[in-house]
Amino acid sequence: MTNLLPLIRNECLKIIKKKRFYVILLILLVLVPMFTYAQMRIAERSRDKFNSDWRLEIQQQITDNQNSLGSDRIPEEWKSYRRIFLQQLQYYLDHDVNPNEPSGVTFTREFVNNSVSLFIPLLIMAVASDLVSGERTTGTIKMLLTRPVRRWKVLFSKMVALLMFVSLIVLSVFVISYLISGLAFGYKGFNVPVFTGFQLNGDTVDMTKVHAVEQWKYLLMQGGLIWYVSIVVALLAFMVSVLVRSTAASIVVMMAALIAGTILTNMASAWTAAKYLFMVNMELTTYLAGTPAPIEGMTLGFSMAVLGIWGLAAVIISFAVFTKRDILN
Amino acid sequence: MKDSKWTWRTVSLVSILATLLLITGFVYAVGDILNPKGEQFLSSLPQETAAPTAAADDEYKILALGDSLAKGTGDNSGQGFVKRTVDALSANGGKAELLGNMGINGLTTAALQSKLQEEGVQYALRQANVILISIGGNDLFRGSDILGTGGSSGQAAAAEKPSEQTVPQSTKAPANNKVEGTTPVPTASAGDLTPESLLSALPGAAKRLGSILDTVAEVNPQAQVYYIGLYNPFGDIEGLLIPGNQAVTAWNNAAMDMINKHQNMTLVPTFDLFDRHLAKYLSNDHFHPNGDGYQRMSERIVQAVR
Repeated sequence: MTNLLPLIRNECLKIIKKKRFYVILLILLVLVPMFTYAQMRIAERSRDKFNSDWRLEIQQQITDNQNSLGSDRIPEEWKSYRRIFLQQLQYYLDHDVNPNEPSGVTFTREFVNNSVSLFIPLLIMAVASDLVSGERTTGTIKMLLTRPVRRWKVLFSKMVALLMFVSLIVLSVFVISYLISGLAFGYKGFNVPVFTGFQLNGDTVDMTKVHAVEQWKYLLMQGGLIWYVSIVVALLAFMVSVLVRSTAASIVVMMAALIAGTILTNMASAWTAAKYLFMVNMELTTYLAGTPAPIEGMTLGFSMAVLGIWGLAAVIISFAVFTKRDILN
Repeated sequence: MKDSKWTWRTVSLVSILATLLLITGFVYAVGDILNPKGEQFLSSLPQETAAPTAAADDEYKILALGDSLAKGTGDNSGQGFVKRTVDALSANGGKAELLGNMGINGLTTAALQSKLQEEGVQYALRQANVILISIGGNDLFRGSDILGTGGSSGQAAAAEKPSEQTVPQSTKAPANNKVEGTTPVPTASAGDLTPESLLSALPGAAKRLGSILDTVAEVNPQAQVYYIGLYNPFGDIEGLLIPGNQAVTAWNNAAMDMINKHQNMTLVPTFDLFDRHLAKYLSNDHFHPNGDGYQRMSERIVQAVR
């Protein structure tokens, strides 16, 4: 333990010196204003149309969805998704709560909801993907391993540093999107109620367990779930970076896996075995919002277990490979 | 070296705090999702009614209720008579605003009855000072199974039991008006239709229309209500012209009787607009009006409103 802390410190400083974290912050600072602006235009347009009466807007949304349910051209999966969405909208309306109350907090909630499967993992890969393979590319790995330090300690310190940065990245996504969107929508909205606890039962939504949480608590819960997903993504990217020689290849491998996950999710596939893939299980926040999971039979416990097993396997493989492998050049 | 010491301290401290925060959120979220505790909420939408027409006679706040005609099915531009009416009323310096279009394809009187019990719909009704209603066509023509499709029998059965009407049922539009004006629908053969079969659905549906009008008047007593009369869409099919006309006229008369009991309700006739002009003003599905047909309807409505 005595010599682990300096190692972790060393790895942290390396990540910072490589300016990876600044790149992530920069990406956020560029992209979040764009999303904010787009969202602002949407809000403006609906304000014009509905005279800023959200109740009329929601009622119209309900009616439109009911109409689209009548169409035979819409696939059955989308219909059941819409039926669920409709019942939730109706619930919000019946209880006089605006589900889209425009505020910086609401924007943050929506933004992280949409970025959990691709955007945040991408940011994490920016740090994780070259942790080991980067040392190989530059050749510094030999220097590192000739020191009188056990190999597992070297890898362990890298992993701890990575996990520290995962937390920082998740936190900065929240903070930056709140600070920037607040400029446009205002910084209030922490106490607005959000409904959670919708129990999906096929097409119908069981409302008996529904309860309101304040939006700040909702954000906190989202943060926790996203953090869990991010840790698993980080560990997987870490494993790939151990296995693959070049950083570019390691990023491509992870990106391909993530994009495949998005495509599989959108296909709402009949291939039910896909639910054992980690990338299909990444949207843990859907269980919070009560939107249906991409494949039937997926629950929060299931998804967490799948992600956990993948993450654990990644750690085992990383250590097994790294401690045994010959470092040649 | 001093610089890196400071960086390390900040980074480690912030990241440990962030991790703790996120773990708290994680534990909380897992607990909340796995063991949700239900709550009862007792809040409802604001009950006050918007200013009546007289108080703000320069602005029409329009709400449309009803079936596919209100929605505008068959109009390639998607406007329907509702949007066209709003546009006409807001032309020439007038002020008109569409609060919402609650038209749903295939809606029957029974389904509209249950829809009117929804708080969101009632709220929208209270905000309006001009309410356009189009309903009854699906009861009359579907109820007699005139289009002879498999889906319509369920709709007819549902219409018989208004108490059991649920939202999903009411939204299930039968196959024949699903695609706006693009799919020609198999037209009925003359054999399905007798004046009796058309009229059989009438008394029940008329009674429900009466209660719909009562509900609307109760929810918003100040608004001007315009009920759009029915036309006979089957006049171009041999043998359906006369019984169809008779049934539609009987319906319109029944509607007129009930509308006359409310002082701020008007029936806007459309029968003559389409009679013997079906080819010109109906869309490809031989049931809904096309753009020009809706235009003529909206002109009528504008005349009634102004």
